Amino acid sequence: MEKRLIAKDALAGIIKKLSEKMVVYAPVKDEDNICFRVLEKGQEPLVNYANTKNAPKNFFFPQTETMMRYMRTERGMELKSAEAEDVPEALLFGARPCDVRSFVLLDNVFDQDEYQDPYYIDKRKKTTIVSLACVTPPYSTCFCTSVGGHPMSSEGADVLLTDLGGNYLAEFLTPKGEALLSQIGDLAAADEGAAAAKEELVKKSESEIKSKVAGSEIKPWLDENFEHPFWDTIHKSCLACGTCTYLCPTCHCFDISDQVKGADGKRIRAWDSCMYWLFTIETSGHNPRTSQKQRWRQRLLHKFRYFVDNFGAIACVGCGRGVLYWPVNIDIRKDVNDISKL
Amino acid sequence: MEKQIRETAKELLAGKKVDVIIGYEQGTLPLQATPCFIDNVDDADKLVWNAFCSQNLAKYVHDVIHRHKESQVRVKPEERTKKIVGVVARGCTTRSLVIHLQERQYSRDEIVIIGVPCTGYVSKKKAAIRVDGAEILGSAVSGNDIVLTTAGGDTTAPLQELLSDSCLTCRFNNPIIADVTVGEPAPPMNVDAEYHDVVKFENLPDEERWAYFTKEMAKCMRCFACRNTCPSCYCKVCFAEQSQPNWVGVGVDDTDVQMFQLMRIFHMAGRCVDCGACVEVCPMGVDLRKFLKKLDKDGFELFQSRAGADMEKPPILSSFAMEDRQEFIYEPEEHA
Repeated sequence: MEKRLIAKDALAGIIKKLSEKMVVYAPVKDEDNICFRVLEKGQEPLVNYANTKNAPKNFFFPQTETMMRYMRTERGMELKSAEAEDVPEALLFGARPCDVRSFVLLDNVFDQDEYQDPYYIDKRKKTTIVSLACVTPPYSTCFCTSVGGHPMSSEGADVLLTDLGGNYLAEFLTPKGEALLSQIGDLAAADEGAAAAKEELVKKSESEIKSKVAGSEIKPWLDENFEHPFWDTIHKSCLACGTCTYLCPTCHCFDISDQVKGADGKRIRAWDSCMYWLFTIETSGHNPRTSQKQRWRQRLLHKFRYFVDNFGAIACVGCGRGVLYWPVNIDIRKDVNDISKL
Repeated sequence: MEKQIRETAKELLAGKKVDVIIGYEQGTLPLQATPCFIDNVDDADKLVWNAFCSQNLAKYVHDVIHRHKESQVRVKPEERTKKIVGVVARGCTTRSLVIHLQERQYSRDEIVIIGVPCTGYVSKKKAAIRVDGAEILGSAVSGNDIVLTTAGGDTTAPLQELLSDSCLTCRFNNPIIADVTVGEPAPPMNVDAEYHDVVKFENLPDEERWAYFTKEMAKCMRCFACRNTCPSCYCKVCFAEQSQPNWVGVGVDDTDVQMFQLMRIFHMAGRCVDCGACVEVCPMGVDLRKFLKKLDKDGFELFQSRAGADMEKPPILSSFAMEDRQEFIYEPEEHA
């Protein structure tokens, strides 16, 4: 692993330069929102920000994605293309450790023995991830340490940047990371002092995550209490909108449909949300989840029970977006902690 | 006023005048009061009334009554029960209730309105801008000021400056209809400025207005929070989700987003009470109000009607008079 130092005021310039030769996804200020966007060539990214409003999952799992195109001809349906659309080599810059960890969790779903999702895998393979460690917690609502994460974790990252004050310590962790180093060119080597300074921050940053959630403690209760009066209490103010699921880094439900215009058709998949009444409705009109209570329970169980059963991890990275941006202030931290007291 | 709301709620619940009271309770974050559903006297002390009560609770009144009615479908008609819903309602909420009543969504005896005079609620977006996007760790209203606490210290701002745009020029900040009214009538807001923004926007060239519309729509992620929080958006199946015909594609192609929002906005003609709930819940900060307010202005200027402002006056899209204006009706052949 290569360890280098990047002067603090040089970082944005380095990424800007990279954006001239490759596709770079990075945080930018978009009016009043800070969002991940594809950088324009030569555009400078933000390097000093808490976290973005949208999670970066859409770069691997776009909100709307064409799966194949077809055409109606005299001979019947003809496939025009059935492969994932061509995607470029790319750089994802500035994702926080929680968001980067979401990709490790999503890999369980999209890149596994039983099912290989070519669309996701292709983009994932071609993208180098530069993560920005949270030396201080971005928000008081962050709770990564309660769900298996750490504010300075390198899990899933190709390069981890740690703010040491005057410099960033840049750790090039994987072959993809090292390839990026060769693209960047000369960077000063990091000495022992930098590594030691980082180690000190690791403990400190962990202790600064004050929001605690009983994420791993509620599984036994969830296993036993599919029917429980508690479920009647939390969904009532829910708007049944998709904010929580769309901003969530790990929510990954999708729906496949065809869009046809004249003789041309395309099959697209688009983000779905368990909060929508259309979720799991069947062609017959039957819906196994007819109420918001059932859909709400599904979301919590998916994250804290089913995903644990299937893949051995909680499907929540503790980024706090749901908590911060939930339109009516339903607070999943409170719900999980309430369950832990039952 | 908060105390009066709680006492009224207790009386109504104890006297079995209502089955549930929909109000606001303290949220878990600063600047947040969240809708709550009180069905017993002991819980009534959870009710709050403050400058952070931003939701239009009429939406929940509609939902609760309709869910109850659905649950009664398989009950013999003579054994069906009514669910009486009490609601803490400011001016705009009562306008939405009037719209529901005029559109025959439920009957007057199914709701008990606790009317509350309103001096406006704080826009979370304006508060965030005020502290340059820093996380707000605490908020407190004292007198005419609001103190926002961030990691960098306290910021004090006049409350007035952080009120939602809808509130600043609100014409109906006192309840239109109520069964019980608490507090003293609230002083009028700056109604003369109601359409200033719209007039400014109307006077822009077409291209600039279209550019503004497309820019705002580009922020939308189709989460439907705007539609779902809107008391006037109560269609069982929204056109956006119909598949036969498929009016609008799923996903976030520009045309689909624009089409969805345009159609929703036009469905609000004569039905938007400018409560600002859609703006307040939007996670991406889309300026929907600009367009909705234009329809409101047209409704008033063309038909002298303000949505939900008068129980006796029929809604503009449900009534017809020979002298109704019609010069805006588009005749394609005349433009060919």
